[in-house]
Amino acid sequence: MAHEGHNALHDLLAVRGVTRRDFLKYCGSIAAALGLSETMAPQIAAALEGAPKLLPTLWLNGGSCSGCTESIAQVDSPDVATIVLDYLSTNYFETIMAAAGEQAEKQLSDTIAAGGYLVIYEGSVMTGQDGNTLLVAGKKGTEILSEAAAGAAAVIAVGSCAVDGGWVYGYPNPAEATGVQAWLNHEGITTPVVNLPSCPVNPEWIVAMVVQLLLVAGGDVATFVEKTEWLTRSYTDRKYGAVDLLMPKGIFGQSIHDNCPRRGHFENGEFVTEFGSKEEAMGYCLYKMGCKGPQTFTNCPIVRWNRRTSWCVEAGSPCIGCGGLNWVDNNAPFFHRLSDMQMGDALGNVQPGTVGAVVGGVAAAALVAHGLGMKAAGRVGDGPPMEEMKAYDRKRLAKKGGDK
Amino acid sequence: MTRAVIDPVTRIEGHLRVECEVTDGVVKDAWVSGQLYRGMETVMLDRQPEDAFYVTQRICGVCPISHSHASSMSTEAALGIAIPNNARLIRNLLEAAQFLHSHILWFYTLAALDYVSPINALSADIADTYALAQAAGTRVADFGAIAKRLTAFAENGQLSFLGGHYWDHPGYVLPPELDLIATAHYLEALEMQAVANEIVAVIGGKFPHPMTSVPGGTAFVPTEQKLDDILFNFIRVKEFIDTALIPDTLAIAPFILETTTYGGGCGNFLSWGVFEAADMDAYNRFLPRGFVTGGLKVEEVGPDDVTEYVEHSWYDSASGLNPSKGETHVKFDEYNTDAKYTYGKSARCKEKPAEVGPLARMVNAYVYEAGGKSLVPDEWAGSVRTPKALIDLTLEALGVAGKPEILVSLLGRVAARNLEAAYVADLALMWVGELVGGIQGGDSEFFKARETFDGAGSGLWEAPRGSVGHWIDIKGNKIKGYQVVAPTTWDIAPRDAAGVLGPMEQALVGAPVFDVERPLEMLRIAHSFDP
Amino acid sequence: MGSHAHYREAHPLVFVITHWINLICMVMLAFSGFYIHFPFFSAGFMGVARGMHFVAMYVILINLVFRIVAAFFVKTANQLETREVDTDIKNWLPQAENKHQLVETLKYYLFFRKEGVISGKYGSLQKIAYLATVPLTFIQAYTGFAIYAPFADASFLAAGTTLVGGPMNMRIIHYFGMWVFILFTMVHAYLANIYNFAPSKIIFLWKETLPEGKH
Ligand code: HEM
Ligand code: HEM
Ligand code: HEM
Ligand code: SF4
Ligand code: SF4
Repeated sequence: MAHEGHNALHDLLAVRGVTRRDFLKYCGSIAAALGLSETMAPQIAAALEGAPKLLPTLWLNGGSCSGCTESIAQVDSPDVATIVLDYLSTNYFETIMAAAGEQAEKQLSDTIAAGGYLVIYEGSVMTGQDGNTLLVAGKKGTEILSEAAAGAAAVIAVGSCAVDGGWVYGYPNPAEATGVQAWLNHEGITTPVVNLPSCPVNPEWIVAMVVQLLLVAGGDVATFVEKTEWLTRSYTDRKYGAVDLLMPKGIFGQSIHDNCPRRGHFENGEFVTEFGSKEEAMGYCLYKMGCKGPQTFTNCPIVRWNRRTSWCVEAGSPCIGCGGLNWVDNNAPFFHRLSDMQMGDALGNVQPGTVGAVVGGVAAAALVAHGLGMKAAGRVGDGPPMEEMKAYDRKRLAKKGGDK
Repeated sequence: MTRAVIDPVTRIEGHLRVECEVTDGVVKDAWVSGQLYRGMETVMLDRQPEDAFYVTQRICGVCPISHSHASSMSTEAALGIAIPNNARLIRNLLEAAQFLHSHILWFYTLAALDYVSPINALSADIADTYALAQAAGTRVADFGAIAKRLTAFAENGQLSFLGGHYWDHPGYVLPPELDLIATAHYLEALEMQAVANEIVAVIGGKFPHPMTSVPGGTAFVPTEQKLDDILFNFIRVKEFIDTALIPDTLAIAPFILETTTYGGGCGNFLSWGVFEAADMDAYNRFLPRGFVTGGLKVEEVGPDDVTEYVEHSWYDSASGLNPSKGETHVKFDEYNTDAKYTYGKSARCKEKPAEVGPLARMVNAYVYEAGGKSLVPDEWAGSVRTPKALIDLTLEALGVAGKPEILVSLLGRVAARNLEAAYVADLALMWVGELVGGIQGGDSEFFKARETFDGAGSGLWEAPRGSVGHWIDIKGNKIKGYQVVAPTTWDIAPRDAAGVLGPMEQALVGAPVFDVERPLEMLRIAHSFDP
Repeated sequence: MGSHAHYREAHPLVFVITHWINLICMVMLAFSGFYIHFPFFSAGFMGVARGMHFVAMYVILINLVFRIVAAFFVKTANQLETREVDTDIKNWLPQAENKHQLVETLKYYLFFRKEGVISGKYGSLQKIAYLATVPLTFIQAYTGFAIYAPFADASFLAAGTTLVGGPMNMRIIHYFGMWVFILFTMVHAYLANIYNFAPSKIIFLWKETLPEGKH
């Protein structure tokens, strides 16, 4: 639809029956999602009103479950949010586009040829079986990503799978899934990648990124990358080594634990110890059920899910840390405080506490045994008879001919 | 003789290729290929059963709830846990919300564009559109405003996700006014599927990938406020189904009656059963378990009746195994329709290909009711439209009363999904009432802790798109074996060892193809399975 | 060893005090750490446990820094059974008496030799163990601050978090750090008291044990 500045937006709002007040309110919620003050709402509205022409966008599905696509369909007050998302002209989007087969592929190649587009990538990058674990139109999924990313202004990796391989990367899956950044590093493609981990992606974050693109950069992708406040998080991919990831600080800067409404109960030591119990009915803290809120850095408690309806902890489940990196290996077993350590085939997955207790127990037993030995050797009490000379000196002397 | 190919099949979950041999405008042979292998089973090894509940639902972002329920049920079967009644009802509500979400989204967002042309809607007469809507008994929207919006969209030159499609294909036969109505409802459906998911979020924290149906029951303890929200949203969704989904289906059907003549498929209908009844008997679920292979006869089925063949799939593990002993050794070869051509395994029920999904469930429910049994408690009879009633009504509206077999077709598969939505919406309201009654009556049990830590079991359940099964083997509270047979595995199955085609392949064979360059009919059939 | 004299010059009062502070902080940290790791009783204690941890962690750090600085200024005896003093740091670093004795000391404790080995006030192994507590405490502080929200963002800490693969792993390392201290304390307390309680008397009560005669 037309975006010729001010009037276009007003028409859009009118068509969708959205009042200006609702619109500003929504802009306020985007501000929150970005970690900005809600007083930024008018500026956000102005940025949207002045939006330049549509930004051609390719939404590519890698090894995905389509959950992130589903998620984007659950965006807050969809009418307003879709106005924002309409700013993206999604020329290729397998899950919703009308065209199929050849006609769909042509949409893809035409957009790439024209250049100046944005890529949104969902799902993990499938490198297993020499890249043949994902085929689209006879091409490897990895080839399509490389081709599209090389000419793109920027790539947004949505959801944990796109960020670092997600659960598909989970040990010891042989599918050899990896993340977009790791793959582009490997291919030597330097297009900037914005990472939005979590399983699935929170749709508000995508909206927030688009708003940010208009707000700080007037739609220019390069300026957007330069002017947004980023965090760099890094991890080591089993196959591609160390990877640095760019993430928006406003979204991933604070822990869930620090913003959790149940935090008061945590401080008071009021915990849920069994699901469906009266402690749960009282909204006690889920720490003892293995809540990974303290180690997980997303704004889930603020932005919440499904148009702010609820979120994991509010519904009664401990956070499983899906917004962290390599989230399955780093957080399972989900009902324990600490994650398992992968100790190879012989020992399997082991809890750190078990390791600590076993080592501690062995040491205690050894000391008791040693103490008994010391007693038996008659050393207890006065100690052993002392040597007259160091053994080393004695040996050296002996070598020299024992002239002492 | 030509090969017609659609790759990728868009508007589905996952990556699919459909290839057909077309002679004289009719499909003679078909190959359906799953083009993605991710592997889930190995990720679960040596982890704990609840980890499987959280992780395996990530196989599918459209039906995570069903996977999560099948996973928890497999653990409960393995460890001998019977979930409390409150948990049963809450899971039914969660599952129902997902069914409604999925069916609405499927019909309007994924499938409608095979029949409805928003471009054609541009030439609709607004006054006629209102008149048509009134006559069809379907929901009225601000058609003028929507037409204006569409025009702006088209004039801008950037059609976004509508771009590049063959809207001029002669298969688009609806009058522009009906196109406009359906397009208006396309936009409303986007809102309604999200409303359905707000129910999921209330109970499960979020959609996709809700968090609370943990093995043993549910982690969700409702408050009065939350129960109100759930009820209110179900009422909104039900209203949309009654005033848009069903009338739209009945309004469009007469224009595409030829789709009753092809697309039927293998004619074997499997349902593991979904929506647990109070007696927790799979054969008495609100959509019951059963296997129908012809006529009004139903056979019992269980986990042991499943085998998976890999003769035509890119695996080098043994073929013909039951999933409880399943192996998954992926080994890509080339794509060759004469040899191996898919990552999908060929799932067989009692050695037969089996169609799963709404049509299969409605067939099983129809046979159940036709046998004189009642699917719902007697006191609900006035409030719930059951499958047989809904099917009979539809046949009557189409002027083919008393001929249910006509629904074993492309049109039948589309209609079954929407009729099922109506039944499930009715049921959901009853379950909310039952849950509220129980809680007010003092039932405060939502979860049962496990007492043993060893065992093996399966969870057989239904996702909106079909039968889902999870198999688990637990030793010392750790997973030693895990296998999943996803709904799509059944429908997109390739040929088996004996060369018998899979359900979608069989449905394609015999279908007309007007233009092999633009094989709209093939696309419609593939979509009808909601793969 | 036990039969040796334990003079105050070996352990001046300030080190008796630093040792006490050390011990108390360690007990508090390990206890509260265990509780934070898994709240084994629910009695409104989490806030207290965290408070305890956060106070003790600063105290132990200040104490350690003080102890290190003092090692260069305070004079202590660095040989057995003598009141002759020298700079305390000599006790921590290898002395002439420790030379060539590491393997022999091991042999002694593993019952491969009968006679005790010659050493300074501290034996080779002992020095290694004591010295190791210094970096260990700093590592524990580093990993602790890295999982402590007010500090976690500091680039010096965030870089480490990244290096170990995220906050969960950092927490696990911190948790293992506790176990290392527990192991150290077990061995340390055992060795301190295996012969007799003279060492404990001096380090806790500052009571001298006078020689009972030569051996
Ligand atoms: C010296 C500086 C130290 C600092 C700055 C520090 C800081 C912290 C912090 C911030 C936490 C997390 C508390 C929370 O999230 O509420 C923590 C947890 C913990 N600390 Fe420390 N700590 C220190 C020393 C120690 C020592 C010496 C021990 C053990 C002897 C210890 C044992 C623990 C344990 C076991 C936990 C719980 C870890 C878990 O979550 O499993 N800490 N510490
Ligand atoms: C493997 C060798 C040794 C280890 C690991 C070791 C360990 C320790 C440790 C940890 C202490 C500190 C406090 C205490 O625990 O007593 C200690 C104290 C002491 N050790 Fe040993 N020790 C070793 C060998 C010796 C030997 C060979 C002697 C003497 C011949 C000796 C004499 C002493 C004395 C006298 C003290 C008490 C210090 C004092 O309070 O003045 N140690 N030892
Ligand atoms: C169970 C409690 C403990 C006992 C019975 C004990 C006993 C002793 C004794 C007898 C000494 C004097 C040995 C000597 O200086 O030769 C000593 C020194 C020492 N202890 Fe402990 N200790 C205990 C706990 C700890 C803990 C928890 C730590 C630290 C983690 C610690 C660290 C040290 C250090 C570093 C020294 C070296 C000397 C100094 O700082 O002046 N001790 N301890
Ligand atoms: S529920 Fe989780 S995030 Fe919330 S306070 Fe408790 S531990 Fe922290
Ligand atoms: S609260 Fe935790 S588990 Fe839930 S979405 Fe956020 S990061 Fe994922």
